[in-house]
Amino acid sequence: MLIELNALTQELPALAGTATADLCDLLAGLGFPVDGVETQGETTVLEVDVTANRGDAQSHRSLARDLAAKLGADLRPLDHTALAEGQPMVPIRLEAGDAAPYYATAVLELGKAGSTPGAVRAFLAAMGAGAKGLPAVDASNELLHRYGHPTHAFDADKVKGGITVRFARAGETLVTLDGVQRLLTEKDLLIADDAGPIGLAGTMGGDGTKVSAGTRRVLLESAFFDPRTVRAMAHRHGLHTDASARFGRGADPGFAPVARDLLAQRLQAWSGARLQSAWAAGSLPPAGPWVALPWTMLDRVAGYPIDHGAASDHLRRLGCGLRETADGLSLQSPSWRHDLALPDDFAEEVIRLNGYERIPSVLPPLDCSPVALAPDYLKRRKLALRLANLGFFQTVTLGFTDLLEDKEGHGIGDHPELRTLKNPLGEDYSVMRGTLLRDLARIARLNLERGAREVRFFEIAPVFEAHPGRPMTETWTLGLVWGGELGGEDPLSPVRHMGEPEGQSFLIGVLKAIGVPEAAIRAFKRWRVSGWEGKDQGGWQFEIPLADIPFEAERIIPQFAPFSRFPVVERDLSLLVALGQPYDDLRGAVAAALAGVPLAELKCVDVFRHKNLPPGRQAWLLRLRFQAPDRTLTGEEVDGWMARALTAAESLGARLRG
Amino acid sequence: METSLLPPEVAEAHRTFPAALAACADLDALMRLKGAYVGRDGSHASRLMEALKAAPREQKRDLGAAANTLKSQWEGGLQARQAELEQVRQRGAALAKAWDPHLPPPLPPGGALHPLTRLMDRMVDVFRPLGYHVEEGPEAETEAHNFDGLNIPQDHPARGAADTFYFKDQDGLLLRTHTSPVQVRVLNRIGRRGPDGLSELERSGGIRFLAPGRVYRKDEIDPTHSPMFHQVEGMLVGKGIGMHHLKGTLAYAMKALFGPAAEVRFRPSYFPFVEPGAEMDVRCPLCAGAGCRVCKSSGWVELLGSGLLHPNILSMAGIDPAVWSSFAFGMGVERTAMMVSQTPDLRLFFENDQRFLRTMGGLD
Repeated sequence: MLIELNALTQELPALAGTATADLCDLLAGLGFPVDGVETQGETTVLEVDVTANRGDAQSHRSLARDLAAKLGADLRPLDHTALAEGQPMVPIRLEAGDAAPYYATAVLELGKAGSTPGAVRAFLAAMGAGAKGLPAVDASNELLHRYGHPTHAFDADKVKGGITVRFARAGETLVTLDGVQRLLTEKDLLIADDAGPIGLAGTMGGDGTKVSAGTRRVLLESAFFDPRTVRAMAHRHGLHTDASARFGRGADPGFAPVARDLLAQRLQAWSGARLQSAWAAGSLPPAGPWVALPWTMLDRVAGYPIDHGAASDHLRRLGCGLRETADGLSLQSPSWRHDLALPDDFAEEVIRLNGYERIPSVLPPLDCSPVALAPDYLKRRKLALRLANLGFFQTVTLGFTDLLEDKEGHGIGDHPELRTLKNPLGEDYSVMRGTLLRDLARIARLNLERGAREVRFFEIAPVFEAHPGRPMTETWTLGLVWGGELGGEDPLSPVRHMGEPEGQSFLIGVLKAIGVPEAAIRAFKRWRVSGWEGKDQGGWQFEIPLADIPFEAERIIPQFAPFSRFPVVERDLSLLVALGQPYDDLRGAVAAALAGVPLAELKCVDVFRHKNLPPGRQAWLLRLRFQAPDRTLTGEEVDGWMARALTAAESLGARLRG
Repeated sequence: METSLLPPEVAEAHRTFPAALAACADLDALMRLKGAYVGRDGSHASRLMEALKAAPREQKRDLGAAANTLKSQWEGGLQARQAELEQVRQRGAALAKAWDPHLPPPLPPGGALHPLTRLMDRMVDVFRPLGYHVEEGPEAETEAHNFDGLNIPQDHPARGAADTFYFKDQDGLLLRTHTSPVQVRVLNRIGRRGPDGLSELERSGGIRFLAPGRVYRKDEIDPTHSPMFHQVEGMLVGKGIGMHHLKGTLAYAMKALFGPAAEVRFRPSYFPFVEPGAEMDVRCPLCAGAGCRVCKSSGWVELLGSGLLHPNILSMAGIDPAVWSSFAFGMGVERTAMMVSQTPDLRLFFENDQRFLRTMGGLD
């Protein structure tokens, strides 16, 4: 909302001489942070942020009231003399119940040569509205920005018969002031004359009855309309006007007759208008209930002892009805404060006006049982850290995908159409993902295209799964993608171009290192990154629900296992094996043959393929480490075990490489 | 030389000796070979001596001569090979001396946690000492948890299809627009009375937790908006909780996150689920308060929204607001990350370019 400094100071003379920066701090301290300051000549305009609960605060007078309460200063008395109400010139019928309980009006005959005063024109320009040069319109706008109450002036000679405030009938139409013909619904609140709609209540007037240069007589409207009705109507028609912003967030019903009077007074002063009659229909809503605010509650909420006198003064200056009781205050909200209903609401006002800087900083005592972090949460953090340490980059992606995901085989076999959004940003964002792999593949490709030699990415996020007749599930999932080449980044690690199978073995090694169970690795089917064919770099991926990765959260360190202090005997076994030999089979056969033997480690440490080797064969170097828990091993017994190992390997068709 | 008298395994060992000797690539291997041929126990030489002892007298002379020849051949070979290998080692040592130790080592490549993860993890770590744990909830939420349970009016614009993503053909199911529904879920849980007539809240004497997570709003992707972003929500329920506790907690956390010199401001604000409401601002890190584009020339950047939980929300969960009081706060993770790191464009966090992740990420 825009606030012009001179106009604000007119409402609160005590502000004179206050530096703009100090005023901004004051406003922020009251809950109205200033988002921008613009100065042009004598005019300084603040862009003030008003929260949704303070519908009343959308004017100069209302901000001045909060500032006055804060500073203990007095508002300028309103320059207002109530018009004597007389006979209705036309009937006003209120047929919308609580949606429009009160309607004040007046009819004036305009003078011959009226014009809007220069100061008001400047004020309206600062408000970004600009003067229309029609005193009735400009005065209404000025009142809105100065006092927050929207009013309207009809060309009285264009209004046919009486005024009715009612809900629209389906099919009725109205051309609003902006020239748009609007089809009305039964939820739209209307101002109508005997011929039909002439305005959307509290939102925008109709074109047919608008005031123009030729207007001789005006019929004024200053009413109260229900906030929800106006808000919904403005939303329905996309008509967010200065008036709907105020009625929609709660105008002051008590100000409706006053605004009518002020509008009439301006017309009399600016254009010599002559009042024909002023009258009103309906009644103002009754004042709100009295609410008890005990001092003890106020002290508890504030966190420091509240000064009773200052609190009462603040609340009175805000316009609250106030009575002292034995243990606190009894309070009644002013007609413009729709946000004050509970004791907590009034407590906030006291604390707000005292200033949040007065609140002490105190850590609450630790008086409840502590709760450990959940294993699932810890698992995510530890897995992520482990993968980062293995050279992987964690990604964060938005989580939207499209229905094509299904065709690629995301592996869940659910119903992606049940994961579909009703109002997506676009087709590419229309489905909540059932896999992380699409996003990971996209990111990996993007990075390779941008010149990355190697890509290692992982993401940990929930993926969605939907089946008819069952609630949608979200499963925390780990996805990984790997591609490119290894090594070559330092003098001791030669570059190794990873062909397809080698690349997969690297990813499998990573999975084993982070504790993914062997069975899950064997069961996985979608290793190839789709759409990666034809590239010389291999692309490999893996995905697993986090629940399938075991994680021991409770035990900090494993149970002690005795370890041997006797020397390790290391032997290598160089074998010629078939090119298609499965490693795990060979390793398993050798390990089985050595059951009961103190075998500490068994693994393949080198693979050699060369044209000089017998056709269909490759050389594997198995390294075996033996270590007994209780003695030093002798060469003879190790020789014997190595012979058994060789025999086992030979049973699978391997032979010793000479 | 007469070899027919030799034990067969010794004869075989002698035959393979030259090859075995050549195969010794280093001194350790050579020492092992030496032990096997001429060592005190169990070596081929000792086997020869045993064979000599056991031989019939007429063979002892020839066998003795053969044994001596073999032993001296082996020892000579071993000695020569040892000299060779020692030379190699010296050359190696000379080479090693010529190696500049500042050449890059073969360390594993550095990966990184995502900067948003790092910030959220840090938030949790900052609040752990205050007794906060982590609570989580689903991203596909009900209107009841996302709006109704938070005192958000039925006609609030945030409920509209222009602001909130709804699932198709699934009545009222939406993508949560904030992490606050986790509050509602936790309050419902801790407010429910068990068979003993006590609620979890009464048994524990209070609760304090953070709810970090992904949230969704229908915003087009641009340098400051994304349809998915992260929030960290915090909540404490206890007895006698006031604004001083909220302010103390947030001031502690902001200094822990942004350093002891961070200047913060606590000011009134409004959210439907709190009363009183407050926001915490931090001095603009870009202009240090002088006024710039980032802080919209106010010198302050909004960090988080907070307040004492609205008594209606406690009541809705069956918790008596006359006995229990509570505060809650929520922080936008991307917004804070951008401010702290001065990252110019929100989209960088979701593009996942390795060059960005390498500089912004880390291992903690």
